[in-house]
Amino acid sequence: MKYTAYLILALLISGNAFGQQSTDWFLISRNTGKKVLSNGDSIRVFGFAQSLGEQPGVPGPTLFANEGDSVHIDVWNVSQGAPHSIHLHGLDVNQENDGVPHLSWSIGHMEHGYYHFKAPHAGTYLYHCHVASTIHVQAGMYGLIIIKPPDGSKTTWDGGYQYVNEQSYFLSEIDTNWHTDSVLDHDHDTTNTIHSVEVPKFEPQFFLINGLSDQQLVDAGESFNSAVGQVDYTRLANIGYRGVRVTFPPDLHARIISSDGRPLPAEEITDTVYVYPGERFGVLTDPSVEFTGQISFDYIDLNTMNVDQTQVIPVNVSGFADLDEMISDDLAFSIVPNPFDQTSTVQFHLSESKKVRIRILDLMGNEITNVQVQNLNIGKNSFEIGDELKASGLYLVQIFIDEKLSGLKKLIKL
Amino acid sequence: MKANSNLLKVALFVLGNVCAMHSFATTIQDTVFINRGQMMAVDSTYIPYFAFNSSSIFNKENSRLIIDTGDTMELTVINTDSLPHGFDIKNYPNIDSVIPANSFAVISFSFDEDGAHIYYDHTFSEGFRYMGLGGMIVSKNASINVQRFYWNMKEHQKEYNETLDQGLAVNWDEYYPEYFTINGNSNPHINTDPIARVVGSVGDTIHIYMVNTGQSLHSIHFHGYHSTIINSTKFPNHVGRSKDTFGVHSMEAVVVELVPDQVGEYPVHDHNLVAVSGGNIYPNGMFLTLLID
Repeated sequence: MKYTAYLILALLISGNAFGQQSTDWFLISRNTGKKVLSNGDSIRVFGFAQSLGEQPGVPGPTLFANEGDSVHIDVWNVSQGAPHSIHLHGLDVNQENDGVPHLSWSIGHMEHGYYHFKAPHAGTYLYHCHVASTIHVQAGMYGLIIIKPPDGSKTTWDGGYQYVNEQSYFLSEIDTNWHTDSVLDHDHDTTNTIHSVEVPKFEPQFFLINGLSDQQLVDAGESFNSAVGQVDYTRLANIGYRGVRVTFPPDLHARIISSDGRPLPAEEITDTVYVYPGERFGVLTDPSVEFTGQISFDYIDLNTMNVDQTQVIPVNVSGFADLDEMISDDLAFSIVPNPFDQTSTVQFHLSESKKVRIRILDLMGNEITNVQVQNLNIGKNSFEIGDELKASGLYLVQIFIDEKLSGLKKLIKL
Repeated sequence: MKANSNLLKVALFVLGNVCAMHSFATTIQDTVFINRGQMMAVDSTYIPYFAFNSSSIFNKENSRLIIDTGDTMELTVINTDSLPHGFDIKNYPNIDSVIPANSFAVISFSFDEDGAHIYYDHTFSEGFRYMGLGGMIVSKNASINVQRFYWNMKEHQKEYNETLDQGLAVNWDEYYPEYFTINGNSNPHINTDPIARVVGSVGDTIHIYMVNTGQSLHSIHFHGYHSTIINSTKFPNHVGRSKDTFGVHSMEAVVVELVPDQVGEYPVHDHNLVAVSGGNIYPNGMFLTLLID
């Protein structure tokens, strides 16, 4: 007994030494929720809440953990009718915790189900019910899971990009004809784990971003706000039955850096991201000029490849980033003198051999110079700026280490 | 009588090919027959259908043409139908043959890289391809020790097959398929197809060759594992991505590599969850499982 206590203590200490925490999530699955649509109509939904007094939301609550955490989920099913489950989409959990009723298990009325897993790579994942999933997902039983780096920082993954703000756009649709009692209260065989269910024709009328559409997005103040030189991280996830083409304004300089919880082997510089059902993407933005615009979301019927409808999120890039936040800790990036008259010198420190590129933009986002720095040293390096900046005014200096944006500073020419 | 005469010529030609097979080490011969028939869907509904088969007996599963990378295949395509049909290979130059009714053509092709490709009937505005005439070519490196599985994905709207079968046009802007298949089967029958159903062990290297010869985009989701895209005919820049879900476009071929790191039985399915139904019944659609010990 004494040795067991020591062992447990030792395990707890070693766990904390590696930053591993225990994260507990509690969800209540309900099938009597109400959702108000953008036309004012109210429909019945299924969903997840975190207390009995709370209406289940569509989508359900976003769940957060840090990479390496031991995550425990207690799902309490407080709903008559068919059972429910949680599928941890993309988390690659073992079969016991996979949430597919006939291969794992499901949760009956007033029962608790417990899921356990170790949070994998930092990234964006989903959870949804996998009982008669075609019906239960459309009914609203889904949510986002965000796994942060082990230290919980504003970094895309351990050793990845730092960012200032992040936003998630979680995409889905609603066909109100599926939200009737005759569809939602489908037959279920209590002696069987596979429920054979009739599926109506899917003809959605409402196309959602984070559960909202059209005027609801305006009323909720959904917008993408940033500043010149500010690096932000956008998570795109699609749980609907349509593909979604997401188009960013060119001046956001969007690039896809991750998908399905993994870094891409090669970043894709593009303004357009196609997000198909079940996919997730991580997009980094880095606006170079103040502007207003919009991100558009085209919902594509995957049988006809025609666009059903488009939603938009307004974009407002205003002011300049707090550039001191944009410098990698070990870079020691500085520009002296600043402001300058004739010449100024970019100084930076390298702890190992790297490729370095320096890019200078004017206030309109025009690229003034973009050069690979030659003859680099381990330690202190410098790069002189002078004649290429003709006009007086404010400029933006970016430094890329191995093609990764690692530092940003304002530079003023007198 | 004329048809019989033509078929006799075909039979003699095929026999000649077989005899010649051992003369050229890097050229192999194969034969496919264009057959008309009826596909029985998961709910026993019959749908007008065509397929490329290895004999003149109709089978809803198209033949897979498998060659070693660098080898040449001389393929004899025998049209047993009463209408002319085409033969083409997606993204391959100068193939587009048209084969008259009850006649044949010989087509040669080779690939210098491993991957999956699509052969299909390009005539009738690809209406025959939609009705079944689309199959998979696999060019593989025989020296690589991997397990290989093959998925030919399609979907069908019965009314569209019937309309096309009458030689009439359909409006693809209103397409709404009811049946979703891999190698001609829907859930639960896909799992009984040893070519489709992935069975392996932890640590195995498994290559899954996928072609989408239907009209719709299929968004394939793997439970339990991420896999790595190692070949895509439409998006070469996606090679190397580690994914649990990815879209396979109409007429796209994709190869993924899966190295399972845990035991269990895990689903793979279209995450456009409407496609997990068949004849409007869940879960009779594009759904199968991986079984890893």
